Amino acid sequence: MSPSELGPVTCLGCGCGCDDLRVRVADGRITDLSPPCPVARAWFGDGRVPGAVRVNGRDASVQDALREAATVLAGAVGRALVVLAPDISVQAQGTALALADRLRAAVDSATSDAAAAGLLAAQRRGRAAATLGELRNRADAVLFWAVDPGPRYPRYQSRYAPDPVGTHVPEGRSGRTVISVSVGADRGPGSADVELVLAPDQEIPALSVMRAVALGNPLGELPAPLDAAAAIAGRLMKARYVAVVHEAEPGQQQARDRYRAEGLLGLANALNGPTRAALSSLRAGGNRNGAEAALTWQTGYPMAVSFEGGTPAYAPDRRALTGAEAMSAILVVGAAATVASALESAAAKVPVIVVGPRASEASLPARVAIDTGVAGIHEGGTAYRMDDVPLPLSPPLAEAGARSAAETIAALLEEVLARPERGTG
Amino acid sequence: MSAPTRLRITGGAVHDPANGVDGDVRDICIEDGRIVAEVPAGSPTLDARGMVIMPGGVDIHAHFASSSCNHARRLIPDEHAADPAPAPSLVEGLARSGTGGTVPSTFTTGYRYAGLGYTTAFDAAVAPLTARHSHSELDDTPCVDGGIFVLMGNDEYLLRQIAAGERDRARDYAAWLLRATGGYAIKIVNPGGVEAWKTGQRNVATIDDQVDGRPVTPRAILETITAAGNALRLPHPVHIHCNNLGVAGNAATTLASMEALAGRRAHFTHLQFHCYGGGGGQPWSSAAPKLIEYVNAHPEVSVDVGQVMFGPAMTITADAPVEYLLHKSSGRRWTNIDIELETGCGIVPLTYKDKAAVSALQWAIGLELFLLSQDPWRVVLSTDHPNGGSFLSYPALIQLLMDRSVRDEQLKRVNPKLLAGSALADGLAREYTLNEIAIITRAGPARLLGLRAKGHLGAGADADVTIYSREPDLARMFSTPRYVIKHGELIVEEGQLRRAPAGRRLRVAPGYDDAVLPDLRRHFERYSTVAFEHYPVRDLPGEPLAVG
Ligand code: SF4
Ligand SMILES: [Zn+2]
Repeated sequence: MSPSELGPVTCLGCGCGCDDLRVRVADGRITDLSPPCPVARAWFGDGRVPGAVRVNGRDASVQDALREAATVLAGAVGRALVVLAPDISVQAQGTALALADRLRAAVDSATSDAAAAGLLAAQRRGRAAATLGELRNRADAVLFWAVDPGPRYPRYQSRYAPDPVGTHVPEGRSGRTVISVSVGADRGPGSADVELVLAPDQEIPALSVMRAVALGNPLGELPAPLDAAAAIAGRLMKARYVAVVHEAEPGQQQARDRYRAEGLLGLANALNGPTRAALSSLRAGGNRNGAEAALTWQTGYPMAVSFEGGTPAYAPDRRALTGAEAMSAILVVGAAATVASALESAAAKVPVIVVGPRASEASLPARVAIDTGVAGIHEGGTAYRMDDVPLPLSPPLAEAGARSAAETIAALLEEVLARPERGTG
Repeated sequence: MSAPTRLRITGGAVHDPANGVDGDVRDICIEDGRIVAEVPAGSPTLDARGMVIMPGGVDIHAHFASSSCNHARRLIPDEHAADPAPAPSLVEGLARSGTGGTVPSTFTTGYRYAGLGYTTAFDAAVAPLTARHSHSELDDTPCVDGGIFVLMGNDEYLLRQIAAGERDRARDYAAWLLRATGGYAIKIVNPGGVEAWKTGQRNVATIDDQVDGRPVTPRAILETITAAGNALRLPHPVHIHCNNLGVAGNAATTLASMEALAGRRAHFTHLQFHCYGGGGGQPWSSAAPKLIEYVNAHPEVSVDVGQVMFGPAMTITADAPVEYLLHKSSGRRWTNIDIELETGCGIVPLTYKDKAAVSALQWAIGLELFLLSQDPWRVVLSTDHPNGGSFLSYPALIQLLMDRSVRDEQLKRVNPKLLAGSALADGLAREYTLNEIAIITRAGPARLLGLRAKGHLGAGADADVTIYSREPDLARMFSTPRYVIKHGELIVEEGQLRRAPAGRRLRVAPGYDDAVLPDLRRHFERYSTVAFEHYPVRDLPGEPLAVG
C-alpha cells in the first residue's frame, strides 16, 4: 500500500476535539500527523491495536466470548456495574446504556471528581458558557484561572483563544488581553498581559472579591493580593466579551474543586451584568463529554446513574466505581486503562468483562476481554468536544480491520436480550 | 408476533376534518402502514363502537430533541427524581426506563407522546452546529415521526449576505444549511437580537434597529429569509419567533413584523408570548384581540398559540437575552450557551402560578387567541413545550377550549389584577367542537407543515390513528387514548403502550446553486472551529421529503 495523506481527521487526544488534522498512513499504520501536537501524537500512536479475544485468559472466538459475557451479565441483573470508559463513540455509549438499563446496572464513567464537582455546581446555579468558536470570535479578555492549557490541551490557545483572528477580534492575539492567575502549584500560562499569583487559601476569597466587584457591591480597602484580584475584575468588566478558562480535570492542587467550580461559575455569571462572559471548562479527550450527553438524554442525569430500582436514579455523591466490590459483575466499555486502577481490588472478586480498545492488555484479571478499535482512529460515529459540540469522527484506519466497539457492544446487548431475565432485579 | 399488515377499524365516530368528515360513523381501513379505501373481507378488525377516531396528533412546535434540551435536562435532577418513568411493558423490542419532569429523557418523551395520541412532533429550535446531536436524540425518541427546525437569522454568514445585499446567496445558503443539517424548516428567533446579545448591544428593541452596528435590521432579516423559504418552496414556510418576546408592549413589534411580511406566507410561533400591551409605564395588558384580528384577516399568516398552563415549566430558547432578564427577575438558576457564528441558548426553570398577575394574563391571552380565532386551520395548538407548560398538559388545554364551565371556574381562581377589561374576563362563550380540536391538534398543523400524508385519514395517508373512549371528563379522555396506531401498527392497546417502533425522520433537501460553496468554505476556514467537510450530518435515516 502506498502512503496516503488523509484529512481532515478529528482528534480525541484531549477535549479540544481538533477536527483539522492531516494524517499520513502507510501500510496500515499512522506514520505522521500535522499539525504536530504532542498529545495527538501520543493518542494516535501508529494506530496499531491488539485484536485479541479472551475468555479466562485464553483465546476464544468472539461468539464464545459474547456468550460467556452475556451469561455472566444476565446472572447479575440488579447487581451489575457498567463503566463508560473513554475512546468509544456516543453511539457505542448509548448502546451500553441500553444494556445497563436492561441489567438494572449502576453506571459510572470516566468523569473525574473535579469534572463532577463542576457538573454539580452547574446544576445548583446554572452556568454561563459558550462554544469554543465563540471565544475565538469574540473574547477580547481571556482569564486563565490556575491553568496553562499548553501541556494537556496543546492547541487550545492557537485554535480557540487567545491567538486566532475572530469575527470580532480581527487583530488576533494583540486584540486580546490575557490574564494569568496561578494558584499554588496550578500555574497560569506565561506571556500573559496581567499576572496574579495566589496561595491556595487565597483562591476562594479572591473569587468572592471578583464576583462582588462584577456585581457592583462596595468592598472598601482590600489587602494584597485581593486588591489585585479586584483590579482584574474591574478590567474584565471593561472588556466586550470575557472568556474564563479553567481546568475541569484534576489539577496539581488538591481538593478545593467544588468551591473553585462554584466560585468560577459565580464570577462568569456576575460578569454578564456589566459585559458578556463565558466559562470554558477544559475537559480531557476520548469523548468524555459524549458519555455525559448520552447519559443525560437517556436518563436525565449526566453521570452516576443507577438503574437498580428499575428507573434511573442519581447518586453523584456515591460513585459506583468505589462500590464495585459489592457487585456481581462489572462491564467496562471503552479503553479500560483509565479505570483499571479504580477497579483493581474489585476485579479480584467480581467477574470483569472488558469490551474496548486494548481490553486484552488491561491490568485487570478479566473474565472476558474483547479488543476493539479506537473511536476516531479505527471507527466512526460521533464524539463530543469539551464544549459539548458534537463532531463526526473520520477514522484514518477505518479499513485496517479492527473490530468495531459499537457493533460488539450491540452484539453483546443482543446476546443478553436473548436470555431470560434473572437475578435479584 | 408481528402486527397485522391489514386492519379495519369499525364503528367509530370519525373526525377527519381535512376530508370533511365530522363525526360520521364509518370504517377506517389500513394496509401496510397506509390508509386505504378498503381491505378484503376477513381482515382483522378493531371494534371502535362508541369511540372517537382522529388522525394521530401533530405537534408543530415543541422542544424535546436538541442540545438545548439536554442542557435543560442537566439542570433539573430534582424534577427527574420526582418523576421516574419505568420501562413500559412492550410485547416486542427493548423497553427503556427514563425520567420525566418538564424535560423528559428521550425514550420517555416518545412513549409519553404516543400515550397522548401524538405520532408526529417537531423540535422547533436547533442550532445548526448541534443538528447532529438532535438527530441522535431523535434516534432515541420512539413512536413519533420527528424533524427539526433549523435556526437562522442571527448567523454570521447570513448577516453578512444581508449586509451585502446578496439575497440569492442568502437563499442558496439557507438551502445548503437545511440539507447539511437534515432540517425540515427554517426557524427565525429574535432576528438580530441574539447576535446583539453577544455584543455590548445586548438586544434589539424594534425591527428597524441596526444589529451590531451593521447595515442589517430585523426587518431585513425577516424579509430575506422569508423570501428565501418561499422561493425554495419548502413544505413549511419560515417559522418566526419575533423580537421582544415576553416584554410588555411587544404586540407593536409583532404587528410590525407581520406587516413587514404582508402578502407572504409566514408562520408566527407562540403568539401568546408576543401579544402584550402596556409597557412604557403602563401596566401589562392583553393585545390578543388586536393581533388575532390581523391574523383572521390575513390568510397568508398562520400561528401557533404557545398557551401558558399553570404549573412547572422550563423556558428553553435561542432567545438568550430574554433568559438573562428572566433569570434576573425570577432569581432562578440560569444557563446560557453562546453558539459560535449561529445563535444562542438560554434556559431558566419557571413556574406559572395562577395567583401571579402576569402568569394569569399570559394564560388568559392564550385562551383569547384560541377563542377569538376565526380559522382553526391557521391558529393551532401549542404550549411551546416545555416553555408554556409540558405537552402532557394538552388534554387540560383541550378541556379549557371545549368546556366553558371549566374555563370559568379556573378564571375565578386566577389573579385578576391585569385582566380587567380583557375579552376573557368579559366572557367568551365559544366552546370548541371535537372537529375543531381535530383541526388545531392534527389536521391544521399537518397542513401548515405541508405534510400531505399526515393529519388526515383519507386513502394514501400514513396510518397514524388515535382512538379515544368518550368520557365526560374531556381532559381524561384526551390524556388516555384507548388505541393508538402508528404506521399501521397498534402501539397503544387498551390505554397501554405495547409497541414502540422507531419514528421516521422528516427532513427536506432543497436544491441550491453550487456557486455558494467556495465562499462558504472560505467563511468556515476563517471563523469556524468545525471543518467544512465535517459540518454536514451524514447517514440520516430515510429519504428527504419532496420539495416544491
Ligand atoms: S489539542 Fe487536543 S484535540 Fe487538538 S490535536 Fe492536540 S490532542 Fe488532539
Ligand atoms: Zn419554542
